[in-house]
Formats: sequence, structure tokens, C-alpha cells
Amino acid sequence: MGDIYQLKQVCHFYGSKKILDIEQMTISRGSILGISGANGSGKSTLLKLLAFAMAPAQGQIRFNGRPEAPMSPRVRSRVTLLTQTPYLLKRSVLDNVTYGLKVRNQTDHLQERAADALIAVGLDPQGFSGRMWHELSGGEAQRVAMAARLVLKPEALLLDEPVASVDTQSAALIRQASLAARDSWGCTLIIVSHDLSWLHEVSDTRISMADGKIFSTGKESIIPGPYARDNHGHMVRFLDDGSEIRLSDPFLPEHTANPTAVIQKEKLYLYPAMDTNGDRVNRLPARITQMLLEQKTGRILTTMDLKGFTLCLSVTANQAAQLDLVPGKQIILVFSPEDVDWR
Amino acid sequence: MDYLISGFVKGLGLLISKDASTWSAVGATLQASTASMAVSLAAGLPCGFLLGYYDFPWKRALRTVVDTLLALPTVCVGLLIYALISSRGPFGAYDLLFTVSGIAAGQAILAFPIVTAITASIIESIDANLKLTLVSLGAGKKDILATCLWEVRYGILAAAVTAYGRVLTEVGISMMVGGNIKYHTRTITTAIALETNKGMFADGIALGLVLMTIALAVNVSLAFLRKR
Repeated sequence: MGDIYQLKQVCHFYGSKKILDIEQMTISRGSILGISGANGSGKSTLLKLLAFAMAPAQGQIRFNGRPEAPMSPRVRSRVTLLTQTPYLLKRSVLDNVTYGLKVRNQTDHLQERAADALIAVGLDPQGFSGRMWHELSGGEAQRVAMAARLVLKPEALLLDEPVASVDTQSAALIRQASLAARDSWGCTLIIVSHDLSWLHEVSDTRISMADGKIFSTGKESIIPGPYARDNHGHMVRFLDDGSEIRLSDPFLPEHTANPTAVIQKEKLYLYPAMDTNGDRVNRLPARITQMLLEQKTGRILTTMDLKGFTLCLSVTANQAAQLDLVPGKQIILVFSPEDVDWR
Repeated sequence: MDYLISGFVKGLGLLISKDASTWSAVGATLQASTASMAVSLAAGLPCGFLLGYYDFPWKRALRTVVDTLLALPTVCVGLLIYALISSRGPFGAYDLLFTVSGIAAGQAILAFPIVTAITASIIESIDANLKLTLVSLGAGKKDILATCLWEVRYGILAAAVTAYGRVLTEVGISMMVGGNIKYHTRTITTAIALETNKGMFADGIALGLVLMTIALAVNVSLAFLRKR
């Protein structure tokens, strides 16, 4: 299948602040990559770079094996990005949907192609083609924007929180249309979303982002900052209730700025709320907030609130049954500070 | 007060009777202002787009210069153009002095910073998602320029009307560069100044009415376009 994207030592800055720092990353052609992470973690910046809407301050992005830059004719016709609040041109729906085709001089069968794209997002071409941009609801506007991307039949469709601010029906149609694009012409989907259940359901690969760095969601959990040192000089992360998570001391090359604490998921242990036995140092009360069945693996993605941040752990159905895990239940998360790595 | 009313009535009579000198001034005004607006829009729109869209060193300084030129005195422009196109000036060979083309050149210089500054301000205030959307849809640089300008077309129209108002009502350039020659370079504003000096209020009022009518027609057209 091959890689559609290859990123190498890509860094980006806003002013002097480094907001993206990716050593290496590849994305397979025709795959679905799900990206999650807190606000400000660099997700949208990464998507803009992958859309070639801007160039990275450092490093190289290869598309189909070739290093590419913004405005390159080779990427202009093949990559497209849909943001959470896309801009609709002050024109009719038909003109909005066909704009991309017109600037690419692909003017054959415009009406038919626009109609197909509108149908794909659940809009009736006859009723909507002639409507003006200000005659649409938020969900309809987002679906028109999605249709304007789908009509281009891109090789890579980048979706930045595409359903975050739309109604349930529009969200379902946008999700359905994006998957249909992958199935119809092998479009690579890169989805940024806080909707973890959707990401887990559809993604072939998942990554999470923190402080501009990428982490493998399947294997690692991030313990986000701010970090501090306690009275004994140990590195800790204070929680909202004043308790602390003890962390290992960072041991990093000197050039590493803003290190992030990461722990392998296999090093995290769950105990029933009353059972605090064990020789691990960190025993953290956590409340289960969400449990999702991962369709592809049969495991259960369990999201926990740790008074300051959330953490996801994938457990087997047996483990979930043994620990009697249900949303709302308080359990104890246990891990050793020595198992915390710094990146 | 009576002489004003009788001047008004007489002015209407001059317009209706197609008085040659009155309509000659109207023609010269429309000729010069149309040509100057065409030039200033053709140059000012792309310059305003570049100034508002891109970040580059000295951008703020350049904006300050352009904004300062909004208050450019018409007599200064007249003086500059006169110096440039008089027989001793670098463009003396083109015989532009005391011609409508000379007036148009001066008025284009007057309108250019207005079009540029207002366009730059409008482009700066464009939704940040527009550029991202256009790039996402595969637009090239020319497409981005054309689409951005089209998206802010009402603002651009307002810029054009503002510049047109300044061009239409200026006296300094028309007087100095045109020379106020009857049936040739006499414009509405120079004619009003002359007729008023001579005590011919009726002629002045007739021309003033035309000026107001043109301004009204331009604004009504703008309102109509906005409505569409």
C-alpha cells in the first residue's frame, strides 16, 4: 500500500514557542489515522502542515514520496482539509461545491458532480443547489463544506473536528460520507477529534498529541504537565485536589525542551477502590467516566478522570468483569514513578 | 435668499436646455474621473490586497505612509503632476499639460492611496478561515487574490465610492493641471469656482446639481448592488 505521508524532524513555531515537534511519522495510503489530544497540543497545526496550507519551520514533509511545499500543483489537487468552522464563500451552495473544480479547470459535468457530492452528505441537490450561503443552518453549512471537499475526490482528506459543532444528524452524515470516501476511491482519512468513540471505531491507527509531540495511543499514556518538584526535589504532577503523582526524574538530551511524561499502558494497573495493597508508589483514585467497546479488538477502552486530567486504558472484557468496571465507579490506578519516561 | 432660489431655477433651465458650456464641464469631469478611477482601481486593488494579505518587513511603515497619503492635498498632487508633465518635466514630451488626460493622471494619484488603504484594511479583516478554505480547495495565488477580493466586494465598492467622491469633488488638480479651459478642460468643480467668482450663481448651482446627482447615482447603484 505504501506511505502517502512521511514526516521527518518536523518542527513548527508560533513566535518563539515550539508548538510541533515530530521526529518521524508515516501515514499509510488508504488508512484512517485518528488523532486526539488536549486543546493546544498541536493537532490543528499538524493538519495544516499535512494540508500544505503552510510550511513547517523545520523539517520535511513528503507526499507520495516527494518533498512538497504549499501551493505545489502536485498537492493542490490531491489534499484537502475540512475545519470545525469552515468558511463558505458568499455564493450559492452549487458555487461553493464546484469552486474547487473550477479553480482546477475540471469543468466537465459540474452540476452532476456537485449533485453526487451533495447526496453523499445527505443534502437534496434540487433543494439546496440554489440556496445562498446565509440560508443554511450550521449543520447544513458544514455538510456543504464537506461536499465541496468530496467533489474533488482527494487522495487525502483531513478532518479537523468536523462534527464538533453540528447537530447529531449532520455529524452522522459527515462521518458516513468520510468513510464512504475511503471505501469508494481509497481516500486516506486523517481525523482530529475529541470524539474518542468515533476515533476508536473507525481508525486503523491512533495517535495522541501533547505539547506538539505524537504518542502512540494504543501503547502509551501521557501524563500532561505542568510538572513541578516537591519539597524533596522529586518531579511530581500536582492534581486539582492537592495530591500528587510522583514521576521519575527527567533524563533527556539537553536540547529537549518541554519534556512530556509518558508511561507504557502495560505498566498501569487497576485495583478495586478498596484494595490499595501493593508496593507501587503512585496510588491514584480515579473515576471511570466512559467505557467503549473497541469493535476491531473486542477490548474495552476505559476513560478515567484523575482530578486534573483524563487517562485512557484499554482492558480486556475479562479484566473489566473481574474489576466490575462501570462508568461512575471509583478505582485505584497504580504505577511506579520509575516506569515514567520523558520525551 | 431670492437670488439663490432664482439661481436654482435658472440652473435647472441650463441643464434642461442642454447649455453647451455646462454640459462640456460635465463631460470633462466624467471623462477624467472615470479614467482616473479605472487606473487607481487597477493598481490600488492588487496593492491593497498585497498590503493587507501578506506579512513582510516594513509593512507597518508602508501602511503608515499609505494612510498618510489619504490626506494628500490636491494642490500638492497638482503641483507634482504639473512639474512632471510641464515641458521641462520628465514627461513633458507627452503633451499632457492642460489636457483631460493630465487631470486624470493627477486624480489617479489622489485616488490610489484611498483604494489601497481601504482595500488593505478590508483584506486584513477577512475571516482567517477564508485563506485556509481556499488553499484547501486547491486555489492558486491568482485564485486566492480574485476570490478574496470578490468575497469583500461590498467593502471594495465602498472604497471605490469613497475614492470617486474625492476625485469628483477635487478642485486643485483640475485647476492647476487642466488650466480650466472652457470647452476643453473645464470640469464641474473648476467651473463652479469660476462662475461663483464672476457672480454667476445660476451656472454654479446648475453644475452643483449635476455633481450631487452623480454622487447620488453612484450611491444608489451601490445600494442596489448590495441588495442583490
